[in-house]
Amino acid sequence: MSNINRRTLVKGSLAMMAGAAFSRAAFADADPILLGVSGPLTGPNAQYGTQWKQGFDLALDEITAAGGINGRKLAYTFEDSQSDPRQSVAIAQKFVSDPRIVLELGDFSSPASMAASPIYQRGGLVQFGFTNSHPDFTKGGDFMWSTSVSQADEQPLLARYAVKSLGLKKLAVLHLNTDWGRTSRDYFNNAAKEYGAEIVVTEGYIAEERDFRSTLVRVRDANPDGLVLISYYSDGALIARQARQVGLKQVICAASSVYSPKFLELGGDAVEDVHVGTRYFPEDKRPEVQNFIAGFKKKYNGQEPDAFNAYAYDAMNMAAAVIRIGGTDRKAIRDAFAKVKDVPSVIFGTATFDVATRRIKGAMNAELVVRNGKFALWDGKPT
Amino acid sequence: MSSWLDYTINGLIVGNVYALVAVGLALIFGVSRLINFAQGSIYLVGAYIGWVAVVQLHTPLPLTIIVVAVVAALVGLIIERFGLRPLQNSVRIAPLLATIGISFVLDQLVMLTFSPNPRALPSQLPDVRFQVGGGTIGPLDLLIAGVGISSALLLFVFLRYTKLGWAVRAASQDRDAAMQMGVDVNRVNQTVFGIAAALGGVSGLLVGMYYNQIDTAMSLQATLKGVVAEVVGGAGNVPGAVVGSMLLGLVESYGVAVFGTSYRNLFAFLLLVVVLVLRPNGLFASARQAPPEPLTGTFIAPSRPLRIPRWALAVAVAAFAILPLLPVSFYVLQTLINAWLLGMLALSLTLVAGTIGQVSLGHAALLAIGAYTSALLSLTLNVPVGLAIIAGGLMSAALGTILISPSFRLRGHYVSIATLAIGEIVSLVILNWESVTRGPIGISGIPPLSLFGYDLISPASVYWFAFAVMVVLALLQARLLGSHLGRSFRAIRDDDIAARAYGLSLNRYKSLAFIFGGFAAGLSGGIAAHLYSYINHETFNTQQSILALTVVILGGLGNIVGAIVGAVALVGIPEMFRIAAEYRILIYGIVLLLLVRFRPQGLLGTI
Repeated sequence: MSNINRRTLVKGSLAMMAGAAFSRAAFADADPILLGVSGPLTGPNAQYGTQWKQGFDLALDEITAAGGINGRKLAYTFEDSQSDPRQSVAIAQKFVSDPRIVLELGDFSSPASMAASPIYQRGGLVQFGFTNSHPDFTKGGDFMWSTSVSQADEQPLLARYAVKSLGLKKLAVLHLNTDWGRTSRDYFNNAAKEYGAEIVVTEGYIAEERDFRSTLVRVRDANPDGLVLISYYSDGALIARQARQVGLKQVICAASSVYSPKFLELGGDAVEDVHVGTRYFPEDKRPEVQNFIAGFKKKYNGQEPDAFNAYAYDAMNMAAAVIRIGGTDRKAIRDAFAKVKDVPSVIFGTATFDVATRRIKGAMNAELVVRNGKFALWDGKPT
Repeated sequence: MSSWLDYTINGLIVGNVYALVAVGLALIFGVSRLINFAQGSIYLVGAYIGWVAVVQLHTPLPLTIIVVAVVAALVGLIIERFGLRPLQNSVRIAPLLATIGISFVLDQLVMLTFSPNPRALPSQLPDVRFQVGGGTIGPLDLLIAGVGISSALLLFVFLRYTKLGWAVRAASQDRDAAMQMGVDVNRVNQTVFGIAAALGGVSGLLVGMYYNQIDTAMSLQATLKGVVAEVVGGAGNVPGAVVGSMLLGLVESYGVAVFGTSYRNLFAFLLLVVVLVLRPNGLFASARQAPPEPLTGTFIAPSRPLRIPRWALAVAVAAFAILPLLPVSFYVLQTLINAWLLGMLALSLTLVAGTIGQVSLGHAALLAIGAYTSALLSLTLNVPVGLAIIAGGLMSAALGTILISPSFRLRGHYVSIATLAIGEIVSLVILNWESVTRGPIGISGIPPLSLFGYDLISPASVYWFAFAVMVVLALLQARLLGSHLGRSFRAIRDDDIAARAYGLSLNRYKSLAFIFGGFAAGLSGGIAAHLYSYINHETFNTQQSILALTVVILGGLGNIVGAIVGAVALVGIPEMFRIAAEYRILIYGIVLLLLVRFRPQGLLGTI
């Protein structure tokens, strides 16, 4: 050891530094194309941020395996906003002033996303909100694009399932009292009425609510023949459980947002026979669905993907498709959103933006039911 | 009519659930006069320890309960020993802040260990259902009721008939006298924290099983409802907490029955305000009970504030004023804009909490009132934005003062709890008053900031605007504190009886403080609304109120410069630790705890 004197050490480290500098220079062109993600990793909505990550990472693996984007890697930097508008606006400024970022994804909640919209719009960076169903989100400007399934599209499908397929005539609607839940409820109620059903009671509940027994007594007294849940999986499971506990035996139909293995885990026996209108299902023959599910299970130890995983996965693939056309110029990327055609998508089959609304129409539809603790394609038999 | 039976049963069932948390809170409040904000976090820890025991280790139920109780008690003891005991000779408000910091840390640790995804916590009891009324109840309902009632009874007996129980009561009545009589007060505190934490942990376990669902967001909700139930029953009164919980459950259930689900929490918090106003000591306080401790005076200890020379302040203001001219990123400017907006809120709160001693936990409501007023005026009536923001400030001053006025007769912690409730009520009214506020859809397309017809859009101009408004408010407030008004405010804070004896009208001065504070907070809310362009009922939430109080305590109560320094620190710290991603809120909590530990009187000291 004593043979190694200071000079050799210096020489060695100099050589190493030179090597590092060289390797950086050689791959300078291969710096990844960077996307900014603003979303919750801590705070009350943290679970959704972690689901996004899973979907993103899977999509990125596939994109990299397919040679990246014109030979360059695609990558993202995830900034935690806690879904708080105060933090999402700061993140927006950070992304806008970071020249490496070519496109932004997120945020999760409407207050956080739409508070940041003016900054993205003025900064000329596309805000690609893939879970933003608020009807005014894309009205923030021509840099706001969304692949979130429009509730104007989705809810009539659920209404058709409940009223036409299942033959329910008197519906009780329970919805999350958020911008998403309210918008969805209105679309659902209108569609259900058009199909000839009657809405006998609607109840909005706040996201933190856990006890629904008294709400369900109200529902019981309205004497419906079916319950419709415009809920996320955790509250949807709670309602289903408590509905059975207070003795409601009616058919339950739920929006696609409950489509998650967690819904089955949290709901247990109580979610058996719950009908769910979804955008894809495991036995779907479409290659993009099979790819997604197989890849997801492989990457995450057999875990089943859920709706939010799928949204994130689709969003990352869409971002890649857009960048393939638009390159890395922010404005060209915005223009590319109008140009992408028929991007393979789990949710939409193939996705093409409607340039007027900056959203995508025509989500896929599958009518599922929970049988033996699993989501299965509904066989047309009444429950 | 059978429905009413069902509503009653459901009310009692959920009351049961609240009781478990409320009893623990009551016990701690009874002894240390402390609202333990970490109780919900212990509840969370209990639920997840239970999950490990049930799902991973497959322990039988009695063993699960013992394991959870022991681990939770240990957590409680650690909190008491390392979080609270070092603070026992410092300012009375320090432990409160410490429990907030501890709850951050515990919640984050659980989230990092178990991921934020909700988990199923299967019940280990046989799945038999008993028909009661139109619905059914299960064995778990009975177990929860059994644990709640028997623990309340046991505690009652313990406090009344055992030596250690006497010591606990003696310590709660007069800590110094108890110490002189040879009571080992530390041991008493340990005992109480251990018991309360064990109870909190077990309640998390049982409630998790009850819903077959545990997630990391359950902690704050548990604390909120537990506090309401506890105060309704009489703070520090253990059997009262059980009855208060049942009452709360019933009121909520009947509220749902009559008005619908979205009004549920409105009734819970209205119940709280009504009880506080009519019977400030809770429904079951005995007439002989000592009045609630005046937190003012003892709560806000005199300290020597750090005097900052005027020239230094002028230099600091000048430096921040020319900052946008220097090559700083928009991100830094935006972060500072957030800090200035929070600073205005903190100025408001430091006046009402620090200078006049009304520690408010519902300050975000003032932001919301200002924001909605300004947004709606500029959108629907085309009022110029500058005027709309001022109108927002005025509305916030007027409405805020009226709303808060019922709590003027309250003292100490009760003010905090009443304002917490009022804050929740405002948020729920915004959610439900759809014809005006557009309910959950919120208000979008709010015009950007503008002044005399010029749009303030660039980050630099927004920065200057927010900074200027804040500095003007700070100067006004400094002038106010230097005048006889400021002295009267402090007199009321330090000894309201003496102040009244000198002929000061307490309500009038408190109103004045809230008018000025409401105006500052309303301006902050108004500016935020135009900055964000979209607001809904969630934009200004309870976390904002807690953050504001943290800022104010951290900066030094009543200290104007302290409020601003605190705002910059608490906006800046989470941003600085962005690199730590998921860990940043954990780091934030630890920094907060360290600050409380070593600088309990605030960075710049109480004025």
